[in-house]
Amino acid sequence: MNKTELKTITGVLEQGMNRQLLYYLDVCTRCSICKDACHQYVSTGDVLFLPAYRAELIRRVYKKYFTRSGLFLPSLYEARESDDRLLDELYRSTYACTGCRRCMYYCPFSIDTTWVLGVAKAMLIAAGKGAQILTELAGAAVSKGENIDLFKDIMLDLNKETEKELQSLIGDSKATIPIEKEGADILYAALAGVHSILPPSVIFHKAGLNWTLSLFESANYGYFLGDVEKGRIIAKRIVDEAKRLGVKEVVISECGHAYRVMQYLYETWAKEELSFGVTAMVEIIARLIEEGSIEIPSGKERKIVTYHDPCQVGRNAGFYEEPRYVLNQVASNLRELNPSREKNWCCGGGGGLVAQPEFDEFRIKTGERKAEQIKQTRAGLVVSPCENCRLQITALNEKYDMGVKVTGLSDVVANQLIGRDIATSFEAGQTEEPEDED
Amino acid sequence: MNWLSFLLAGVLVYVAVAVFLVGTVFRVYYWLKVPRSSIRLGIFPQANSQRGRFLQWARDTFLFLQVLDVDRPMWLFVILLHIGGLAAFVGHLRLIQEFTPLATALGKEGMGQFSLISGGIVGIVLLVSVIYLLSRRFKSPYRDLSTPEDYFLLILIFMVLLMGNHLRFFGHVEVEAYRAYVHSLLTFSPEFPVELAESGTRWVLVTHVTLSNLLLIYLPFSKLVHYIGTYAVNLVRSEAR
Amino acid sequence: MAKEKAKSKQEASEKTEKTAGKVDLELDLRGLMCPLPMVRVSQNINKVPVGGVIRAVATDPGSLADIPSWARTTGNEVLKTERDGKDIIFLVKRVK
Ligand code: SF4
Ligand code: SF4
Repeated sequence: MNKTELKTITGVLEQGMNRQLLYYLDVCTRCSICKDACHQYVSTGDVLFLPAYRAELIRRVYKKYFTRSGLFLPSLYEARESDDRLLDELYRSTYACTGCRRCMYYCPFSIDTTWVLGVAKAMLIAAGKGAQILTELAGAAVSKGENIDLFKDIMLDLNKETEKELQSLIGDSKATIPIEKEGADILYAALAGVHSILPPSVIFHKAGLNWTLSLFESANYGYFLGDVEKGRIIAKRIVDEAKRLGVKEVVISECGHAYRVMQYLYETWAKEELSFGVTAMVEIIARLIEEGSIEIPSGKERKIVTYHDPCQVGRNAGFYEEPRYVLNQVASNLRELNPSREKNWCCGGGGGLVAQPEFDEFRIKTGERKAEQIKQTRAGLVVSPCENCRLQITALNEKYDMGVKVTGLSDVVANQLIGRDIATSFEAGQTEEPEDED
Repeated sequence: MNWLSFLLAGVLVYVAVAVFLVGTVFRVYYWLKVPRSSIRLGIFPQANSQRGRFLQWARDTFLFLQVLDVDRPMWLFVILLHIGGLAAFVGHLRLIQEFTPLATALGKEGMGQFSLISGGIVGIVLLVSVIYLLSRRFKSPYRDLSTPEDYFLLILIFMVLLMGNHLRFFGHVEVEAYRAYVHSLLTFSPEFPVELAESGTRWVLVTHVTLSNLLLIYLPFSKLVHYIGTYAVNLVRSEAR
Repeated sequence: MAKEKAKSKQEASEKTEKTAGKVDLELDLRGLMCPLPMVRVSQNINKVPVGGVIRAVATDPGSLADIPSWARTTGNEVLKTERDGKDIIFLVKRVK
């Protein structure tokens, strides 16, 4: 590693320095209480995935370059040059972290390992070692924002098809999925794919909301990558759209990290205050039921249903009651995972892991707890309002033979509203060409 | 007092206290100097009221009951270590000023007994806790995570405790003598009373005091800075709304 | 109907081969959800020589914007995007 590279890295550390980070770096006693909080350490036993060790790698660089004591007594702190080996270790331990913050919950000093790893990511990016797939995904999302006019026609075309499906689902040939509707109250930021557009469309339509669908997906690979600038630009696409259309509220699809970005990170990243409210999908469904805008037909589902608290929806956003309230309306036999809520185990798919094939094997391995937990409930249906969790649990389902269906909260509710079995999935082309079904 | 004792159990005490105080202030200043991120890093559930938030913060800071779920022995020994430390601190205050009401109630004999038993228990409990923490660090994965600083601090504390316990159990020196020494420190004329100066116990005392001084000096610059850091850092935990 | 469809698919693929020349690698990405189609293309691009072409068939509508945007930022080229029923067919050329 040459001098300039080293300089960029320490530069990043200097720039990224903030008080919370300093606390975290200074206060950890390496007591290792966090070790059994992390699903990745628990299932691999590899110290590289012990939360405090991940942070310790950075702490070593930090001690080396930033404190008197580290400078004078390097061996006392084992401070080492930020050499390539350190960067490789850092890469593995940093990009593996799902950002679940379960370790923060258990740490007696509430040390947020993810926050510390944010610096690690910035350092890796500066050294040209950011996760490749995430870099490409973030780059593509930024580019899509810049060239949206190139894609608009295709997207509107596609939307026409989705609209037809909505119409046949709810039996109303006038139902629409508005895009770029000025004066709408709500801008819904979905994920690419009808499975994330149709169920909320059904719900919004039934509730008679004045809404519009965003041209942009809520997912933010800039955040996973740890590139604040890209993350900001990716989120800004939706913010700008919301401002342009003058909406009061942006509803984020069932996608945990996307909500976190909009609700907790964006304002600081962009140094601007949002002029609209940010609502999670679970929140708005609960609200609509509570205020009576949608009515769940009686005739509750009696099969065992379980709910997986996505880390970014539960521990990191506080939606514990809303989803349970909704599910209890829909199903009569909701069984909790053990443990659940703030103590729930991470599914193992967060942090962009599901998008990175290099972690495929790892995340299946580190999802074993989750698989076990779900099996114990004997549920046939797992509901989780986060795309990452669902992809991961679906993968676990296959590998660990769990025999469950995995679905989202809006799917369950939308199915109820249109009188289908709650586990029916919303796939593209389901309602097209009924003559195919012979 | 000979010159070595004067240096270690006299001058160094002042230096240690000064470094500890200035170091602590410096540490706080050093933190406050760095701008805080306006991102709210708290986790849920969160209390809704100010009062609830305070209670939650106090619970997180002083009891950290969530640790019981993942590492019970560790929780126990950590709690014992801290309560013991606090008790030891309070016990040492007796060397500044006798706890008169208690002493009158128990009588001179009774007070001596009480102090021997309570102080003895605290000393042993502390020693056992530190031994637990230390031995844990020789096993994987704790060993992989540990740095020389961790061992250094634990051994330092261990030595302080060892000397302290030695004074308590084998010192054969009356409390009045120690009190006289502490008073001489307080009046900036460090001196051992005859009783101490002529006893071999003196060297144990000097070691006890010297090591305590080192600990005190190192405290603000070590990971043990959590003695002030924990308040701030647990406040961050409750910042989410 | 199903047979007809298969036939039309074949025709479509023949058509693309004619217009774009040789295809070095076929990727069946049907059923994969966003962002996996893009991820698979990215993973496989190094398996074809520079100048080589991947023909990828996806069903995820997100890929319609993702794959061209990915190509733009990584300096590769999408020669052609076409739709055939639910299938979206990309011809991606490795440029460097
Ligand atoms: S529990 Fe907290 S203080 Fe202890 S090692 Fe882990 S991060 Fe550090
Ligand atoms: S945030 Fe989750 S995955 Fe990351 S270190 Fe903590 S417990 Fe492990």
